Amino acid sequence: MTAMKTPILEVRGVSKSFGGLRALNDVNLTVQEGSIHAIIGPNGAGKSTLLNVLIGLIEADEGTITYAGERIRGLSPHTIIQKGIARVFQTPQIFPGLTLVENVAIAALAKRDGQFGLRILESLRPGHPVMAEAEEHLVDVGLAGHLRSEAQHLSRGDKRRLELALCLAARPRLLLLDEPTAGMSRHDTNSTIELLKHLSRKGMTKIVIEHDMHVVFSLSERITVLAQGTVIAEGAPQEVRGNPRVQEAYLGGAHT
Amino acid sequence: MSNITEAGLATGYARAASRQPALVTGTDLLVIGAFVLVVLTMPWWLVLIAGYEALATKIVIWAIFALGFDILLGFTGYLSFGHAAFFGSAAYITGLSLKHLTSDIVPAMAISFAGLFVIALVIGVLTLRRSGIYFSILTLAFAEMAHALILSSTLQAWTGGDNGLTGLPTPTLLGSPMRGLTVFYFASAFLVAGFIAALVIRRSPFGLMLRAIKENPMRLEYTGVNVFAYKMSAFVISAMYAGIAGSLTVIYEPYVATEYIYWSTSGEVVIMSVIGGVGTLIGPILGAGFMLYFENVIQGFIGEQWKLVLGLIFVFMVIFLPGGFVDLARQIWRSLGHRIRARRYNVPDMAPEADEDRLRRRLDREEAEAR
Ligand SMILES: Nc1ncnc2c1ncn2[C@@H]1O[C@H](COP(=O)(O)OP(=O)(O)O)[C@@H](O)[C@H]1O
Ligand SMILES: [Mg+2]
Repeated sequence: MTAMKTPILEVRGVSKSFGGLRALNDVNLTVQEGSIHAIIGPNGAGKSTLLNVLIGLIEADEGTITYAGERIRGLSPHTIIQKGIARVFQTPQIFPGLTLVENVAIAALAKRDGQFGLRILESLRPGHPVMAEAEEHLVDVGLAGHLRSEAQHLSRGDKRRLELALCLAARPRLLLLDEPTAGMSRHDTNSTIELLKHLSRKGMTKIVIEHDMHVVFSLSERITVLAQGTVIAEGAPQEVRGNPRVQEAYLGGAHT
Repeated sequence: MSNITEAGLATGYARAASRQPALVTGTDLLVIGAFVLVVLTMPWWLVLIAGYEALATKIVIWAIFALGFDILLGFTGYLSFGHAAFFGSAAYITGLSLKHLTSDIVPAMAISFAGLFVIALVIGVLTLRRSGIYFSILTLAFAEMAHALILSSTLQAWTGGDNGLTGLPTPTLLGSPMRGLTVFYFASAFLVAGFIAALVIRRSPFGLMLRAIKENPMRLEYTGVNVFAYKMSAFVISAMYAGIAGSLTVIYEPYVATEYIYWSTSGEVVIMSVIGGVGTLIGPILGAGFMLYFENVIQGFIGEQWKLVLGLIFVFMVIFLPGGFVDLARQIWRSLGHRIRARRYNVPDMAPEADEDRLRRRLDREEAEAR
């Protein structure tokens, strides 16, 4: 990745406190279009909070967030998402009582119709283009076998895949993944990595929060290290791996 | 996830050009046909089971009310305790129009429809900011305010206060007065249209969004959907069904009782829905039929203890059959040996997955303690 690409996301001086706890402290982050950018750091470092601030789930106390050249801080969450961002949550967020196809179709419809549409004279039965598209996304993440069962009966790892399929159906420009492989077997983790790499080749930008260093180093082009709400290092995987502060704060001796 | 292949992904989205399925299928036509048949013959078969003709009209009116209630409660999961505000307001507006402006039902209902739309928007904006029990309490509060307003001394000259709105003319339809079976068929037309509309909504993209609100509104918002706008639409649609029922009540009986806008009316539609089966559309219609049949026919057989018996039935249903009559029918159908399409997802390796979760939680905890 060359340094001259345009950033799709620029976070400048973002801070957020919960009562006395400073969860984010003057955070800066620049993400290049088309790259995979990892955010790592110990539990409670503020990684999930940073993603929450990006999509408007939590409002930052200070700082600016620029996405595709536009200030997005303060906009409503669905407005921000409609600009082309999708988020996989740390605890899978799906629609438990709906079928897998319906789960994914919702995102495809949100992409097609925007934030609201009184679409009544249309029947979402099998064969509807949106349902067909949803099925294809489910095949992509390996859930082809259970298209019409309810999502609540899925295992935790499969719920994660379903949420990923849902996010892909929104065809985002920027995909935010909060520990996408947590709870998956090594085999499934590897195929998820393959899928994410493949999507990047198609130009989708990704921010990935990951605990698994194997995933981080095999996937990302840049890494930001957070500790206690502060960015303590930023750079290419090799630079970060060699950084003594990072070793001390997070990686310890075990991962090197 | 081994089946992720470049080829598989490359073909993705290519099928988007396929044709849209028809709005109504053959099965739908059968269901609608059966529904129309049962509804339109009600004045006759109801008499066979000790009912009377006018009761059929009353059942049809309340069925519309309960059906609309299910579009809100059954789809979005929002439990309104204030739907009497819509039923009652529509009845008052229709009654006032008939009394002071026109005895023709069409303009009277049109005025009521427009007025109710505004009322529903205002109450919706003020109540839908909250969910769960808070929403229920807010809707109840607004309905009680509406009730108080109707009874207030300022409006008494118009609304008749405690006595209700009396002295209404018999409404006319295209010049001829509406009585007996004409009222029944007029109301039935609304029920049939409302039922078909509800079926179509349920399967539409709009309906899917409403059902998604019930399942996980947060996920929906963070999928780029304006959850509030969808909630608002469901609320207004539901209120309009209640309003049509309220207007029809005034044709059924040219009089508006204060009780139409009282909380007991809100409570009754809730009970009808629960007894029938929330979210099934046909269930609340059955619930309305059952409640009115019980109140007007069974009551005559069991005497003054009928409310106690009805209460016991309600308690029994909620405890043993939370899915209502529709669920009861499904269970009977199944016990007769019919298979209901299995929707269970088979997870043979659930146990190792759970172990993995437990292990992860332990590691997280240890990590947190080490800090
Ligand atoms: N909504 C919230 N209210 C209060 N405290 C919060 C909230 N969200 C996160 N925190 C706190 O902020 C800190 C950072 O949390 P989080 O961003 O989830 O960490 P990470 O994802 O890096 O493990 C933690 O101490 C957490 O308890
Ligand atoms: Mg986190």
